[in-house]
Amino acid sequence: MHFVIVGNGVCGLEAALALRAREPDVRISLVSDEHDHFFSRPALMYVFAGQTTLRDTEPYDRGLYERLRFERVRGRVATVDAAGHALVFEDGSRLGYDRLLLAVGSRGRPAPWPGAEGPGLHYFVTLRDLEGLDREARPGRRAVVIGGGLIGVEMAEILKDRGLHVSFVIRESWYFPLALDRNEAALVSEHMRHHGIDVRPGVNVDEVLRGGDGRPRAVRVAGEDVPADLVASAIGVVPNTGFLAGSPVPLSKGGAIEVDDALRTSAPDVWAAGDCANVTWADGSRRPEQLWYTARDQGRLAARSMLGDEVAYRRGPWYNSAKFFDVEWTTAGSVPVCLNWDNTPIDPGPDVRCWFQRVPGQCVSQRVVVQGDRVVGFNFLGSRWDHEPLLRWIEERRSLDWVLAHLPEAQFDEEFMPRFRVLEGASLSPAAP
Amino acid sequence: MQAGLLNTYQHPASSRQPVAWMLSALLSVAYLLLYLGPLPRLGIPWDVFQVGAEAVGLKSKWTLYGLLYTAAMIAGGWYFLRRHGNSRYQVVRTTVVVLVQVVLGFSLPLLMSVFGRHEHYFSYFWPLKMEYLYPSYILQQPFLILAWSFLGSLVAFPILAYFLGKRFYCSWICGCGGLANTAGEPFRHLSSKSPAAWKIEQVSVHLVLFVSLVLTAIVWVNWAIGKKNPEFAAFAFRVQDWYGFAVGAIWAGVIGVGLYPLMGTRVWCRFGCPMAALLGLVQKFGRFRITVKKDMCISCGNCSTYCEMGIDVRQYAMANVDVKRAACVGCGMCAHVCPRGVLKLENKPDRFKGGQPIRVYAVDL
Repeated sequence: MHFVIVGNGVCGLEAALALRAREPDVRISLVSDEHDHFFSRPALMYVFAGQTTLRDTEPYDRGLYERLRFERVRGRVATVDAAGHALVFEDGSRLGYDRLLLAVGSRGRPAPWPGAEGPGLHYFVTLRDLEGLDREARPGRRAVVIGGGLIGVEMAEILKDRGLHVSFVIRESWYFPLALDRNEAALVSEHMRHHGIDVRPGVNVDEVLRGGDGRPRAVRVAGEDVPADLVASAIGVVPNTGFLAGSPVPLSKGGAIEVDDALRTSAPDVWAAGDCANVTWADGSRRPEQLWYTARDQGRLAARSMLGDEVAYRRGPWYNSAKFFDVEWTTAGSVPVCLNWDNTPIDPGPDVRCWFQRVPGQCVSQRVVVQGDRVVGFNFLGSRWDHEPLLRWIEERRSLDWVLAHLPEAQFDEEFMPRFRVLEGASLSPAAP
Repeated sequence: MQAGLLNTYQHPASSRQPVAWMLSALLSVAYLLLYLGPLPRLGIPWDVFQVGAEAVGLKSKWTLYGLLYTAAMIAGGWYFLRRHGNSRYQVVRTTVVVLVQVVLGFSLPLLMSVFGRHEHYFSYFWPLKMEYLYPSYILQQPFLILAWSFLGSLVAFPILAYFLGKRFYCSWICGCGGLANTAGEPFRHLSSKSPAAWKIEQVSVHLVLFVSLVLTAIVWVNWAIGKKNPEFAAFAFRVQDWYGFAVGAIWAGVIGVGLYPLMGTRVWCRFGCPMAALLGLVQKFGRFRITVKKDMCISCGNCSTYCEMGIDVRQYAMANVDVKRAACVGCGMCAHVCPRGVLKLENKPDRFKGGQPIRVYAVDL
């Protein structure tokens, strides 16, 4: 039996590990054109900043592939010959499989603005993106980062650290409206400005202006020309599935690979998992999950599915964390999104209220989301929290008073850091934006 | 990102480039000259450090060395806190370890020698400072020093290590750890994280502990029977001398500090220190641990990279297993640099009663 996995990221490698743990003797091949070793994609920013080397971001020792007899195939897949049970590479060569897992991940969402495509345009998702940005990001240059999410703030941070002048252009009224409300975004923006970032929320990019040499000269933002030597596009990611167009592997409108609950596609003996797979969310919608830990979980589950286990992928409750410059963020449970992509407010409903406080003079805030008389979600900035007890309290349908009294138990800060306490300025108000 | 660690790998001295090799050679040579004194056969007729000490009006080269060491820790501590002062754990820990050096490691011994007493370093204990439980030394000391040494080594330390982990000594009191965590800060990421290094460490550090225990036994036996057995006395003297030179001078000094720029700051603590080995055994069964937040690790590797003891912390974080390793000196940097707040140093009874199988997935693969 020959298992072939396309993609050497967390999803593909975890699938391979799970397969090998169960089946010591099957043949397992990992196909990638990115890197010979599994590395941590969220760590690319640390490599760029010189905080770690690429090698430091490889979670396993370099003997892993030989030890577990994972055959590595370096190449770019052109298409899947589902009827012939084979991958076809761009150089025309073929690799037969008995069972195939597509764990091909994401790439940066293509920049849609007139004049954007060309030299000096950068994404920050793949190793190639890192190398390209590393070559062009020289101290003193001007960078315009576009996008109001996590990759955007990462790019702003590492470019600023490199000594570039950074403008951060955000289409929505405030930074990261998918996760932060107006108060929280104000805190983060203040922090970014303190670090010397020119933060510009609530403005649209009209076009990228290029000079006679074809390189970017400026980005026209709401009629104003912001000088730019390079343009960083960080407006999300899309499934890396261009090569599957025209193949029997079915894709969603957004390009994600359609799978059932067992992560099987409708093509025979082809599975898909991770960022590139269209899965069913708790709210019933079908979207890819572009997260590190869900890619890992899906990879492990896909391996079991490929081995014939009866499995169904069920996403657990939502939690996540990130870091905006020095400000850490933890979220758990249901935190209402207040703003649509087109800047129109979303009404979370009359019975959703937010308890909020900010520690004066610090980039520290706590928001507890209440629905009716029970707590349903948490959004914390500037301190560390363990999501496990938070999610347990949500499940136990705890009241706001109970949760506020017990919150210190979930705090996960370093020793000697200030303990959580309810401050005088705390407010409880409707969650509407 | 952790602002203090940016560009670590872009500094030639922090990334094993030629300047790091030169620095390493320079440090090693300085330690050799300090310990060996004049080397006429190599064309060095003077005791360089002694000459230097007298030139600045100090009586002993060891005072000069203590002065340089303490100055390096103060300057290094200031440098460290400029980078990591946003962590209160690091502020408190660094302040304490530098103060201990200034007061107990330098000023008090100096005062004692000024007043004509034999100097005693109150921050050092057996088996790191072997002679502090040698009868020939300790029984000639005032009762307070005798009690300090005995109670410290044999009573207080095991108890403290059980409840707080060995960090109470290795990262809060000890001068070796103090230098590593202050002046050594630019080199902490250079420790090897390979499984092979871990195996070597386990053998070598416990071997030194074993040798130090045997040596202590020999010295005490000699105290009891040496007068009647001159041959045994000569043997005991020889092994004492040998241990003091090979382990105390060459390993802890020349190699331990000399290799900072190439192998990180804890070469001695990790591979050689008998105190670290002893406290580590207590720690393994004690309360100290690094608690891992479940399923939040993004495998970025900052924790492992910046572990000065070469612990591959990331393997534990990825496997959702709390870190209970004898080697961990509790410096707290893994928790501090983690961009997802996954790690927390704690002194608490085990979360997993009844013995959770400690099996780290990837390490055991």
